[in-house]
Amino acid sequence: MLLDFDKLGALRGVLIGITVAVCLFLILPIVFIAALSFGSSQWLIFPPPSWTFRWYHDLFADPRWFYAALTSLKIAAIVTVLSVVIGFLTALGLNRGRFPGRDALRALFLTPMILPVVVLAVALYALFLKLGLAGTTFAFVVAHLLIALPFSIISIGNALEGFDKSIEDAAILCGASPWEARLRVTVPAISHGIFAAAVFSFLASWDEVVLAIFMASPTLQTLPVKIWTTLRQDLTPVIAAASTLLIAFTILLMILAALVRKGPKT
Amino acid sequence: MSEPFLNIRGIRKTFGSFTAVRDVTMDIAQGEFMTFLGPSGSGKSTTLYILAGFQDPSGGDIFLDGRSLLATPSHRRNIGMVFQRYTLFPHLTVGENVAFPLRIRRRPQAEIAERVRAALKLVRLEGFEDRKPANMSGGQQQRVALARALVYNPPVLLMDEPLSALDKKLREEIQFEIRRIHQETGVTILYVTHDQEEALRLSDRIAVFSQGEIDQIGTGPELYAAPATRFVAEFIGDSNFIETSIVSTDGRQARLVLPGGAMIDGVPLHGAASPGGRAALLLRPERIDLQRGEGEGALAGEVYDVTFLGNNVHVLVGMNDVAPVSVRIPFGHAALAGLTPGERVSLRFNAADTHAFLEPPAA
Ligand SMILES: Nc1ncnc2c1ncn2[C@@H]1O[C@H](COP(=O)(O)OP(=O)(O)O)[C@@H](O)[C@H]1O
Ligand SMILES: [Mg+2]
Repeated sequence: MLLDFDKLGALRGVLIGITVAVCLFLILPIVFIAALSFGSSQWLIFPPPSWTFRWYHDLFADPRWFYAALTSLKIAAIVTVLSVVIGFLTALGLNRGRFPGRDALRALFLTPMILPVVVLAVALYALFLKLGLAGTTFAFVVAHLLIALPFSIISIGNALEGFDKSIEDAAILCGASPWEARLRVTVPAISHGIFAAAVFSFLASWDEVVLAIFMASPTLQTLPVKIWTTLRQDLTPVIAAASTLLIAFTILLMILAALVRKGPKT
Repeated sequence: MSEPFLNIRGIRKTFGSFTAVRDVTMDIAQGEFMTFLGPSGSGKSTTLYILAGFQDPSGGDIFLDGRSLLATPSHRRNIGMVFQRYTLFPHLTVGENVAFPLRIRRRPQAEIAERVRAALKLVRLEGFEDRKPANMSGGQQQRVALARALVYNPPVLLMDEPLSALDKKLREEIQFEIRRIHQETGVTILYVTHDQEEALRLSDRIAVFSQGEIDQIGTGPELYAAPATRFVAEFIGDSNFIETSIVSTDGRQARLVLPGGAMIDGVPLHGAASPGGRAALLLRPERIDLQRGEGEGALAGEVYDVTFLGNNVHVLVGMNDVAPVSVRIPFGHAALAGLTPGERVSLRFNAADTHAFLEPPAA
């Protein structure tokens, strides 16, 4: 290897220092928020004078937070299912199809990833307003599906890339119809890619805030929107508690995804 | 071959302007082991895939038991296939893999268990039911694939270079197994390979493919003794080719002039030739009689090299204006004692053992 870690000498210390700094930079805000959510200070003073569960109590006592979380879950769940199904079909078409403009089409499907989300949000808002669909669950799901789909197409596409189509052909000669072969053989064989697609799609919707602010209505608010609107009214540690739960759930899903992705290799 | 069983009629396949398979026609008897032999890219797999239904032919038809197969989709053709690559379903155990075709056919549980056991016994993998494919060697995986392809008793089994990823010793071991399984089950097998030894070892008949066409169909000995084209002669067995010119011909046999001036009469001729044309004379290395010194042989030359190859010895003889000719002599033959490079030798052969193939006129 060109850069052998063991032979770097004094540089090693510098490298370790930089790595630790980057990790702290990434983790500290989360630790900070989590600490504040348990702090007794009304004004989010750090370090907290003493510790309390009061803000969590307040959080669970207010049904509006509960409904926001429920709305988030519902939308993320619908987006996940649709994203995985449509992502699988799209990836299959891009992987197996032999047609002109295939690469251009693949690039087109991935544009939501590079398009500024605000631009997408304004455009969608204008469209749904015109169609009379603004503030509906449908509009919400469509908006989040747009940003979730590229994740599905990429992870399922990669899994299909590594899957030998001869295996599907073998299933067909065994008597399975083409769709039976795909569902009973191809899908289980690329399940790690499908699972990754599901987790990324869920998270793309679960902690998304920009599109959500545009798609939300007073009666339809996801958790990030609720945090945002509450934040604008007053700065209460309840927000820190809600944020901490949001982050905890996200981290849990990431760990789960990492565990599953490790699975098929062993 | 009184009954029609599998009839391939004028199958053609084009990809754009490129013709991958042209006019492939053959009749295969029930229980026959037919091998498609040819170099890579000669259209063997494409023909097999058309039989499997993964490709539609651009022309021609295929009949199984007198009925055209083409309108039937792959999954209803009830054909078995073992692929070149490992195609076991990775998420299923060996037992579940073999059971898969029966599950699809909704056979009763007891019957499935019984037939899976029998199929695994056939390929000598009893007791491997609960293994995952990832924990098996390549040879074992191909045997499971064979069990999976045979468990539903298909009338025809297709095999596309199933052993090409295995090393030589293992390949020979499984070739032997395939022969036994063919004899035990009586299934009709269409086998693709580019390895002549494998083809000769396994097949009842061999179809030699060259550039999308069948050059010749016959048993191994037929192809060896009476090759229809220079290509077949080169592909089956070892061969020397010597440039000659045609003195006279009666259409089936010819009188030729060898380099060096000697004449040879009664050589079986392939292709319509006229006197004055050029022909390549096939000499099998093991059909040449080597004599030491300047004898009365048709060709004279000098020993370039002597190589010991176990049961026989390979002697390379160089001549003026001709590519060196290789001669194979059984070990211990009198002609070999003390034979060293540089020695003059003469070569004799029977005209009946040779073949002449027409060469295109020199450009
Ligand atoms: N889907 C395809 N598109 C274009 N050309 C193909 C396709 N499949 C095969 N060919 C071409 O057809 C020829 C025959 O291929 P194949 O039947 O696989 O040969 P073999 O099995 O004898 O090695 C090759 O030149 C190959 O490149
Ligand atoms: Mg091939």
